[in-house]
Amino acid sequence: MQKAPFVTSYLTEHAGDDAFATLAGYRARGGWEAARKALTQMSPDDVVNLVKDAGLQGRGGAGFGTGMKWSFMPKAADKPKYLVCNADESEPGSFKDRLLLERAPHQMLEGIVIGAWATGASKTFVYVRGEYAQPADVLQRAIDECYAEGLLGSDVMGTGFAHDVVVTRGAGAYICGEETGLLESLEGKKGQPRKKPPFPAQYGAFGMPTTVNNVETFSHVPHIVKNGPAWFKGFGTEKSPGTTIFGVSGLVQRPGLYELPLGTRLDEIVFQHAGGPLPGRKVRGVIPGGMSMPILPVSQLDVPMANEFLRERKTMLGTGGVMVIDDSVCMVRVACVVTYFFRDESCGQCTQCREGTGWLHKIVQRIERGAGSREDIDILLDVCGKMEGQTICAFADAAAWPVQGLLRHFREDFEAHVEHGKCPFPQSFEL
Amino acid sequence: MKISVDGVEYEVAEGRTILQALDDVGVLMNGVDIPHYCWHPKLSIDGSCRLCQVEVEGVPKLQIACNTPVAEGMKIHTQSERVQSAREGVMELLLLNHPLDCPICDQAGECKLQDYAFEYGQQHARTQEPRRAAKKRVDLGPTIVFDQERCILCRRCVRFCREVPGTGELSVFSRGDRSVIETFPGQPLANDYSMNVADICPVGALTTKDFRFKIRVWFLEDVPGVCTGCANGCNVYLGVANNRVYRYVPRRNDAVNQTWLCDPGRLSYKRIGADDRIDHAALQNADGIPVAVPLEEAIAAAAERIRNVVATKGAGAVGLLVSPHATNEDLFVARRFLDAIGSTQAGFAVVRGRGDDLLIKEEKAPNASGARALGFEDAAGLLSRTRGGAVEALVVMGHDVLAAPYAESRDALERVDTLVLLDTHRSPLESIAHVVVPVRHAAEKEGTLTNFAGRVQRVQPAVEPPFEALSEGEALWQIAQALGLPGFDDPYDVRAVSKALAQSVPAFAGLDLDSVPPDGAPLAGAGD
Amino acid sequence: MVISAETRAAIDAEIAKYPKRRGALLPALHLVQKQTGWISPETAQELAAIFEIHPIEVMEVVTFYNMFYDRPQGRHHVYVCTNLPCSLRGARDLLKEIEQHLGIESGETTPDGRITLGHEECLGACAWAPMLRIGAQYHENLDVETAKRLLDELK
Ligand SMILES: Cc1cc2nc3c(=O)[nH]c(=O)nc-3n(C[C@H](O)[C@H](O)[C@H](O)COP(=O)(O)O)c2cc1C
Ligand code: SF4
Ligand code: SF4
Ligand code: SF4
Ligand code: FES
Ligand code: FES
Repeated sequence: MQKAPFVTSYLTEHAGDDAFATLAGYRARGGWEAARKALTQMSPDDVVNLVKDAGLQGRGGAGFGTGMKWSFMPKAADKPKYLVCNADESEPGSFKDRLLLERAPHQMLEGIVIGAWATGASKTFVYVRGEYAQPADVLQRAIDECYAEGLLGSDVMGTGFAHDVVVTRGAGAYICGEETGLLESLEGKKGQPRKKPPFPAQYGAFGMPTTVNNVETFSHVPHIVKNGPAWFKGFGTEKSPGTTIFGVSGLVQRPGLYELPLGTRLDEIVFQHAGGPLPGRKVRGVIPGGMSMPILPVSQLDVPMANEFLRERKTMLGTGGVMVIDDSVCMVRVACVVTYFFRDESCGQCTQCREGTGWLHKIVQRIERGAGSREDIDILLDVCGKMEGQTICAFADAAAWPVQGLLRHFREDFEAHVEHGKCPFPQSFEL
Repeated sequence: MKISVDGVEYEVAEGRTILQALDDVGVLMNGVDIPHYCWHPKLSIDGSCRLCQVEVEGVPKLQIACNTPVAEGMKIHTQSERVQSAREGVMELLLLNHPLDCPICDQAGECKLQDYAFEYGQQHARTQEPRRAAKKRVDLGPTIVFDQERCILCRRCVRFCREVPGTGELSVFSRGDRSVIETFPGQPLANDYSMNVADICPVGALTTKDFRFKIRVWFLEDVPGVCTGCANGCNVYLGVANNRVYRYVPRRNDAVNQTWLCDPGRLSYKRIGADDRIDHAALQNADGIPVAVPLEEAIAAAAERIRNVVATKGAGAVGLLVSPHATNEDLFVARRFLDAIGSTQAGFAVVRGRGDDLLIKEEKAPNASGARALGFEDAAGLLSRTRGGAVEALVVMGHDVLAAPYAESRDALERVDTLVLLDTHRSPLESIAHVVVPVRHAAEKEGTLTNFAGRVQRVQPAVEPPFEALSEGEALWQIAQALGLPGFDDPYDVRAVSKALAQSVPAFAGLDLDSVPPDGAPLAGAGD
Repeated sequence: MVISAETRAAIDAEIAKYPKRRGALLPALHLVQKQTGWISPETAQELAAIFEIHPIEVMEVVTFYNMFYDRPQGRHHVYVCTNLPCSLRGARDLLKEIEQHLGIESGETTPDGRITLGHEECLGACAWAPMLRIGAQYHENLDVETAKRLLDELK
């Protein structure tokens, strides 16, 4: 089991307590009361509106309004509707969903039941990345407990509402985190994202109306139902309410998880909470939200961690995976790791993505070897431009953005490689 | 509903995507150029090549035309700078891993990569990286060879196998830039329609073993015609050079064969220039051995023998066993021949085989429906009457009569006084025929054929036989002339025959040679 | 038959959870691999029959996902995460040490068939880097000596 966060708030307050992962422990902390309230005192529309009012934004990376997404589900009950809980967490630098699965599975399940009530879904598929075999086991035990206690199944809490939860394990493919790649994978196929239209709310899992939400997104929901929108908005910024769990990794004193309000400044997270750089080192740059998000140089860390502010600096909150890079590290090597990852994980359907990810990696490698030219640097940017905004899913954008970010703020590293034919950072990690 | 494309308005059907709608109205790549790789009109939408992006007014991002539904009043731009640059981007990225050796590629000349690269791409990809290692000349099955380095992963071939024959032999394995087309061990690409993948492959990645490197496509002239392999009458282009047919490729006809051909039909072009063509007229000598003679001599001999039968047994003893390989015009001449001579002894024999739900029909000839429409019945009756002695002079077209279920009737053919054979290919019938006249294949003459559904479609001479030969109609016409039958005074003229057919047989009204549209038209009374 | 009766029963239980049969293909592949270690063409054919699909549709899935194998594997899988956060904290040196220790390169199997070594993308343990997983088990905050000891304990 993963270490509980160093700083906690409502999501992770009790995560350090092993019993919290059990039904008894969760109930002892007031668990499942929010679901009872929703199912017995609120109409589905009430719940949708409540979540809308709270302004909860999805925590899976795109930040879409959760209440709004739920309202897209067709009202008609002529065919089954499904929820999908996205527990694929594969964005490099992200490890918060694992914590919520391992240490607070009932919190997420309660959010799922509330979401199911709001959308009229009869079944939820929790798609857990293949490597999370142990978190999936913990979750399955929690689900079994819920069935035994009538919190899931044909008659949830005696209300007559029926809901089932199925755990599906992925098998090692980052793209299955993209919601339609996930749906394909759930249907037993290659996880290749679907072209849109149709959209999942009309034609989702197994052809039925479907809503996909992230593990953390569901986990916020019971708190909103219990405490109301005003309470929720007491955390975070005006436009980005609530907390999130930042995962800090890389070259800092105290890597780990930190549940903090959205809008907490990045420099506060890096220097205060995570203790700043290792002895004798200086922070050079920070990737603020998982590998897909463009890096910020140390001079720009005075930014509140919320999309409305991060966008001004041409980056985004993403999954809140904060990766800290210090002055020992060559950004060309970082680019090598980044481009290798996206080349490895492209599903390979779209021309620009399949060919572009391969090309980016090859060129970066060549620059790293010292065999690149200045023109190569421009070609990198040109290829990024060709990949952006033109593909079936946002993966190609996600592959282009970090390269653009590195070149925006650390072009000098690339130029040094090109000029001197070798890496100017003797201490940098080797490839 | 109305949409506008580059300022031109089109009336299109609701529920279609932009590419489908433009294809429906016949302007796609024929007035409106939206280059596309993965989309194919007869396959499911893939949406992966991203080449077909267009600008839709009011939508910030470029949209793929193959998957974007049309909407009333939609304004689409296909040639704007943004669109052009997106196309260039796709092309450049595709050419990265593609060998630039068009001169030695078999697809050159009909390669969409070559075409589009010329129009939209930079001529050279700006990379010095080695291209990825790729498998060359992989045998996918009995008919198709795969060159991975040319593959652009449009998945048309994969979708074809899954959606059309339903056999699903092909798939993309792995992911990202390691993606590759594969077959399952021990399950090669082998189905009745496998060769279509070579047509739909937009580049030179899939080629047929049959055509591979035989001739450069730009030497070929594409002559529209019809496959004669079965009653479906699939539309083809005959690829012709040096008076030789090198291949059939499908000619799109949504009412007949969509964009497909079956493999046996596709390969049936080989029958045209085959070694076993009957390439000379012959007469049986006193020892029962066929001896080559000039064509006119054979016609004269046939007429002479028929005249004798008429004289001794009466006109009613002259019979005609017509062929469903002959054209409507040939068969109409046969009809008039019978009427003129005053006999009713007629029938047609057709070989039957396996059919399926897709294209392949059980009747292995292109014009059995034409024979029926012209009042010919199955040959069983004629053969039994012949065996019974009612027929003494029999003109036989083709040798379908040697196949089941007629084969038992061979003794009937052996007993007649006169057997005149009009045929394209050699068969045991030659040895019992008294007169043999070489005839033209459907690819060597003007005419029309009526497919199983009653659709009349035109054939025309794509090649000239390298020996003297007549169409069945012309051969009968000359025999009739030699016999002095009424109505055969003019020299044979297939156009005149065709006009007469259209005028005198109601089913063929309006269907003379020059009126049949390129994609055919149904017999009057036949549903379409 | 490759697939045991026990595995088959487990597959059937999975199938029951999905609105369409094929939904259980990934779970089934996990189950079969637990029994057999990898997916041979023969296994793919048996699965295809169970799921009423073409065998090649099984293989395309197998080749798409990292965790399914189309060739025989070592008794234990050892994967070192080499994504950025782990690389920043020594993962690549760790991988090199392990390669030397086992005498194989990433992607290979020890000659005795004991261990297949590989490197993987981020495994969701970034703060506890470097790390590796042995099968389903994560081992975090590793140093080289601990890692070697873990490997030596594998039978
Ligand atoms: C390449 C790619 C990978 C993604 N991976 C994940 C993931 O691992 N987990 C996740 O929750 N969302 C992921 N997403 C976002 C999902 O597509 C989807 O937006 C999200 O699950 C919706 O949930 P939310 O609204 O609760 O955030 C990914 C998106 C892309 C484009
Ligand atoms: S953008 Fe990349 S990952 Fe997304 S569908 Fe296209 S090829 Fe697949
Ligand atoms: S072989 Fe041809 S048809 Fe098949 S995917 Fe490749 S390019 Fe497309
Ligand atoms: S289906 Fe019949 S007509 Fe069509 S290609 Fe095959 S043999 Fe020829
Ligand atoms: S033709 Fe539209 S994406 Fe390929
Ligand atoms: S980078 Fe190694 S676990 Fe995330």
